Amino acid sequence: MCTHFFFFLFFFSMLSFFFMIYFVMNNLVIFFEWELISFNSISIVMSMLFDWMTLLFMMFVLLISSVVIYYSKSYMSSDLNLIRFIILVLLFVLSMILLIISPNIISILLGWDGLGLVSYCLVIYYQNLKSYNAGMLTALSNRIGDVLILMVISWMLNYGSWNYIFYLNFMKNDLIMSFISIMIIMAAMTKSAQIPFSSWLPAAMAAPTPVSALVHSSTLVTAGVYLLIRFNMLILNTFFIKILLLLSMMTMFMAGVSANYEFDLKKIIALSTLSQLGLMMSILSMGFPDLAFFHLLSHAMFKALLFMCAGVIIHMMNDIQDIRYMGGISLYLPMTSLCLNISNMALCGIPFLAGFYSKDMIMEMVSFSNLNLFVFFFYYISMGLTMFYTIRLLMYMMINDYNLLSIYNLYDEDYVMLKSMMVLLFMSVISGSFLSWMIFYYPYMIYLPFNLKMMVIYVSLMGGVMGFLISNMKIYSVNKFIMTYNLSNFLCLMWFMPSLSTYGLSYYFLNFGYNLLKIVDLGWSEFYSGQGFMIILKKYSIFYNIFQMNNFKIYLFSFVMWMIIIMYMLIINI
Amino acid sequence: MHFFMNSNKMFFLFILIFSTMISISSNSWFGCWIGLEINLLSFIPLISNSNNLLSSEASLKYFLTQSIASMNFLFSILIKMILMKNFEMIYFISIMINSSLLMKMGSAPFHFWFPNISEGLSWFNNFILMTWQKIASLILFSYYMNLNFSYFIIILNVMIGAIGGMNQTSLRKLMSFSSINNLGWMIFSIMISENLWIFYFFMYSFLISIMFFLFYMLNMFFINQLFINNMNFMIKMNLLINFLSLGGLPPFIGFLPKWIIINFLMMNKLYLLTFIMLMSSLITIYFYIRIIYSSFMFNYIKMKWFKIFLKNNFLMFINLFSFISITGMIFSTFLYIY
Repeated sequence: MCTHFFFFLFFFSMLSFFFMIYFVMNNLVIFFEWELISFNSISIVMSMLFDWMTLLFMMFVLLISSVVIYYSKSYMSSDLNLIRFIILVLLFVLSMILLIISPNIISILLGWDGLGLVSYCLVIYYQNLKSYNAGMLTALSNRIGDVLILMVISWMLNYGSWNYIFYLNFMKNDLIMSFISIMIIMAAMTKSAQIPFSSWLPAAMAAPTPVSALVHSSTLVTAGVYLLIRFNMLILNTFFIKILLLLSMMTMFMAGVSANYEFDLKKIIALSTLSQLGLMMSILSMGFPDLAFFHLLSHAMFKALLFMCAGVIIHMMNDIQDIRYMGGISLYLPMTSLCLNISNMALCGIPFLAGFYSKDMIMEMVSFSNLNLFVFFFYYISMGLTMFYTIRLLMYMMINDYNLLSIYNLYDEDYVMLKSMMVLLFMSVISGSFLSWMIFYYPYMIYLPFNLKMMVIYVSLMGGVMGFLISNMKIYSVNKFIMTYNLSNFLCLMWFMPSLSTYGLSYYFLNFGYNLLKIVDLGWSEFYSGQGFMIILKKYSIFYNIFQMNNFKIYLFSFVMWMIIIMYMLIINI
Repeated sequence: MHFFMNSNKMFFLFILIFSTMISISSNSWFGCWIGLEINLLSFIPLISNSNNLLSSEASLKYFLTQSIASMNFLFSILIKMILMKNFEMIYFISIMINSSLLMKMGSAPFHFWFPNISEGLSWFNNFILMTWQKIASLILFSYYMNLNFSYFIIILNVMIGAIGGMNQTSLRKLMSFSSINNLGWMIFSIMISENLWIFYFFMYSFLISIMFFLFYMLNMFFINQLFINNMNFMIKMNLLINFLSLGGLPPFIGFLPKWIIINFLMMNKLYLLTFIMLMSSLITIYFYIRIIYSSFMFNYIKMKWFKIFLKNNFLMFINLFSFISITGMIFSTFLYIY
C-alpha cells in the first residue's frame, strides 16, 4: 500500500514539475472557475489557479509526501492502524493541494479547515494523554485562524465575490479591506505559529515522526506564509505588516534561544522550524514575498530530511528522543548521519547547499534594505543562534560515546528509510541552486561593504564556537544556570508562551468555575434554595409535631376554650 | 371489598349519604344540625370493627370530636336565633358557627383529631372521611361565611397541610395532611362559587379514589412498604401519574381545578394568598414524590414468597381512571372549542 501511494504521489509530483517548467517558460497562468451556487447576485465558486508558484509548491508537497509515505512503510511497519495513517496522510495532502490551488477565500477555507482537522487527527494518532493534550492545543490554536477566515468570508460579502485575487490591487485603500488584511495576517500567524500562537508547534511533536516530517516542518506550517504570499499585494506598506515584522522577528529569536535549552531531539528540530518560519514571515513582511517563497521551498526539503533522519535515530534507539542519551551516532549510523549533517549544514547556510542560496540572499537583502538597528541585530543574532543550536546538536549526537544502555542494536541497513531519505538528500543539496536559477526572472543586485558582506560568516562562526563550548559544559557549569534560574526558565519555556495558550488561559477559568461551584452552586444557592429550605421545613415540621403529638383531650379542651373566648367577645360587643 | 358484602354496613352507608342530603337541603339551621348528627351516628358503625382495637379507638375519638363540634354548632345557632333576626350577620356569631363547622370537617386550626383518626381507619373509610364527610360541613360553611376569618383559615390549611406531611412515613397520615392542604383550596373555591367547588371536589375525590383503591388492594400503609413490593410496571406508573396529578403538575388533570382557582385568585388580586397556596402545594408535591420514589427505581427488592394476587377486573378500572388522569386535561380543552 505504501509503495503504491509512493508511486502515485511521485508521479503527480513529477507531472507538476514538468508543468511548472512549461508554465515558467511560457509565462502561463491558467485560472478556471466552477460555479456551485448562485443566488442574489452572489455566486459561490470553486476556483483554481495554476501558475508556476502553485505548481512548484504542489510539486514539493507531493514529493515530500510521497517519500514520507514510502518511509512510513518501514517506520510504521509494526503499527496496527497503518491503513488509517496512510489515509490520513493522503487526506492531508489533498487539503494542502486544495489550499494551494485556490484563490477563492471559500475554497481556501475548505483546505484550511481540512488541514486543521487532519493535523489534529495525526497529532492524536498515538492516542495517549500527552498526544491528546498536544492535539487539542494544536486544533484550538488553528481554530482561531479558521474563525478569522470565516470572518473574512463574511466581510468579503461586501464585494460580491470571494475571489480575493481580483480585489488585491483594486480595493487596497478600502477600510474594510484593511480589516480583511488584519484578519488574514492573524490567520496566517496561527497557522505558521508566530509569536502569540507559537506554543502548539513544539507540542505537536507528539505526532509520529513521518507526520512531523511532512506536516510540521514543510507543509502545514508554511500554509500561513503561502497565504500571505498570495495576499502580499494587499498587506504591503500597511501598519500591520510592521507589527508582523516585529512579531515574526521575535519568534525567530525566541525559537533560536529556546532550541539551545531543549534536550528533546524532535523539539529542537521543531524550534528550528519555528525560527525559520519567523525568518520567512519577517522577510515577507519586509516586502520580499519571492524570497520568502524561495526560502519556504528550500527549507521544506532539508527540514523534512532532518525530521526523517531524526525518525531513524529515534527508531534505532528504542524510541528515546533525549539527545543526552545519544552520542557516537556517526560511528554506528554513517549514512543517516550523513543525511543529518547535510541537512543541518543546509539549515545553517553552508555554501552551495540548499539553505545557502535562500538564506544568504535573505540576509543580504536585509542588510541592503532600509531598516533600523533592532531589526538588523535580531536578524544577525538569530542567524548566529541557528549555527549555535545546530553545532550543539551535532556535538551531542555525533561526537562522544554512546550514552544509553550498554546493550544496543544500532544498524544502518534499513534501506526503505534510507532510500526515501536519499531522494530528499539529493533535493536538499541541489534545490537551492536550481530554484534560484529557475524562479527569479532577473537576479537581485546587491552592493555591500566588505564587513557587512562577511557579517553572516562572522556570526555563524561565533555561533558555532559557542555551540561547541556549550555542548562541552560540565556539571559545574550547568550549576551556574541556577544563578540565573528565572532567566533560564523564561528562555527555555519559550518565553512562557505555552502558559499563555494552555495553563494561563484555562487555569483562571477553571479556578473561577471551581470557586463558583463551591461557593454558589454547592454553597449559597444550595443554602438558600435546596438543602437550606429542606432543613427549615423539617424544623417547622418537627415543631409542628410537638402540637400534633399531644393528648387528645387537650385538643378538645382548646376548641371549647376558643368557643368560650369568642362567646365572651360576642357578649362584650353586644 | 368486604364493605359491600355486609348488609349492615350497606345500610349505614345509605344513611350516611342521605343524612348529608338532609343536612345540605334543609331550610333551617336546626334541620342542618339534625342531618349532621345522623351523619355522625351512621359513620360510627362504619368505622368500628370489633376485631380491631385501633378502629374502635378511632370511632371513639371521632364520636367525641364530632359530638363536641355538633354541640357547639347547636349552641351557636341557638344563640344566633335568640340574639337576632333571620338575615342579620354578626361577626362573632359567624366565627362561632364557622369554627364548629371547621372542627367537623377537620380544617386547620381544629384539625388535630384528623390524622389521628385516619391512622385507625381502613382505606375505604379514609376515603369517606376525606371526601363525603366534608360535603355537609363545607356547604353549611358557605351559608354563613366570615370572609376575613376564611382567608386566615385558608392560609393555615395550606401551610399546615404542607408542613405537617413533611416528616410522616405513614401513608394514611400523609394523605390526611394532603387532604388538609386541599381543604384550603376547597374553602377558597367555595368562596368563589359552588360550581367551582363541585368541580374541585369532584377532581380531588376522583384522584384520591384511585390511589386509595390501589393502596387498599396492595394492603399498604407505610412508605417503606412501597419499596419491597414487586408491583408491576403499570401499577407503578399509575401511582406515579396519579400522585403527580394530585400535586397539580401541568400536563395532568389535577392541574385544571388548581389552574381555575389560581385564575380567580389573580382576578381578585389576592397575590400574596396565591403565592402562599402555590408554594405550599409545591411542598406537598415534595412529599408525594417521596411516596412515588419507589416507582422511579430501576431495581427493587423482590422476595420470592411475597405474592400479591391482584384482582384484575378492578385493575381495569384503575387503568381507565389513570388514563383519564393523564389525558383529561387535554380532552377537557375540547370542551371549550366553540
